[in-house]
Amino acid sequence: MKTLLIIAIVLTGSLMASPNEHRDDNYRSSSYYENERGEYRDRDDRKGYSKVGVAPIRNAFYKIECGSCHFAYQPGLLPEKSWVKLMSNLENHFQTDASLEAEENKRILNYLVYNSAEKFRDYKISRKIDDSIRRDETPIAVSDTRYFKKEHRKLRRDMVEQKEVKSIANCMACHKTADKGSYEERYINIPNYGKYEND
Amino acid sequence: MKKLLISLTLLISIAEAYDFNPQMQKYMNDLKTEAKKANPEFKGFDYSRGEKIFTSKHVGKRGKLISCVTCHTSDFSKNGENISTGKVIDPLSPTTNADRFVKVKDVKKWLRRNFKDVYVREGSAQEKGDVVIYIVNKK
Repeated sequence: MKTLLIIAIVLTGSLMASPNEHRDDNYRSSSYYENERGEYRDRDDRKGYSKVGVAPIRNAFYKIECGSCHFAYQPGLLPEKSWVKLMSNLENHFQTDASLEAEENKRILNYLVYNSAEKFRDYKISRKIDDSIRRDETPIAVSDTRYFKKEHRKLRRDMVEQKEVKSIANCMACHKTADKGSYEERYINIPNYGKYEND
Repeated sequence: MKKLLISLTLLISIAEAYDFNPQMQKYMNDLKTEAKKANPEFKGFDYSRGEKIFTSKHVGKRGKLISCVTCHTSDFSKNGENISTGKVIDPLSPTTNADRFVKVKDVKKWLRRNFKDVYVREGSAQEKGDVVIYIVNKK
C-alpha cells in the first residue's frame, strides 16, 4: 500500500511539472513575445489551447436568423474584422440577398464581435484560424482562411461536389458534430467515403 | 366560462388558418393602399398574377435562370431546399406550417430578400400582395 502511494505521488508530480519544464528559457524573461507577424502574443500561447474545437453558439437569435439559410457558423471561426466586413454587406452575401433591418444587423454583429476568434484563443480552432490570418487580409468566408485550407487540402473535388455535400461551406455534411463546435477528426464521416485522416 | 371562450376562439382561429391575423391584415391593407397609389386602375390582389410572379423564370442574383419554385417547389405542403446551401426550407403553406404569414417582420424580410434573389430588384406593393395571395390560397 505504501509503495503504491509513493508511486502515485511521483507520477502526479511528474505529470504536473511536464508542460512548463520544457519551455525554452528565453521565453521566461517577459510575459509577451513578438510573433512572425509582428504581433504581441501572451507567452502562455506557447502552451497552446486548453479546449478543442470552437465555443458553441449561445445566441438563439443568431442561430435562427443566420441558421435559416445555412449552417450557423460559430463566431469563433472568424476574427472580428471579418465579421465586421461581412455584416456590412448582407445585401450581397455570397451572391444572395441576406439583408436585415438595421437594428437586427447591429444585434447580430454585436454577438459576432464579442465572440470572434480572438476572444476564444483558449479554443484550438479559434486560435489556429486567428493566427493564420495576416494583417493585410480580411477573409469573409471561413473556407478562405489559411488554416481551413490547410486542414482541407487533401479533400478531393468529388468528395465535396457530390450532392450529399454540395459545398465546402456545408460543415455538417461531414463534421457530424459541427453544430456543437466540435470538428475533431474522429467525428468526420464523408458521405460515400467514410472516415478522413489528415496526416 | 372565460377559459371556454378563450379555447373556443383558439379553435376558430385554427379552423380559419387562411385568414390573416390582425397585423398581417393591416400589412396587406397597407400594400393595397400603396398599390392603388401607384396604379389608380388597381382593383385588388390577384391569384393568377401572383402565380406568374412565383413560377416565371428570371436570371437571378447568381446569374442563373431561376424562379421561386426552384427553392420552394410547387407543392407548398412539402419542404423546399435552398439551392445554394442545401439547407431545408420549411413548407410555405400556412395550413401545413403554422409559422408562415404570422409575423409581418418575417414576411417583409423574405419578400425583400427573395425578390432581390430572383428578380434582382425589390417587388412593388402590388407584386408583393399578389404573390402572398397566391401562396396562402394555393390548393
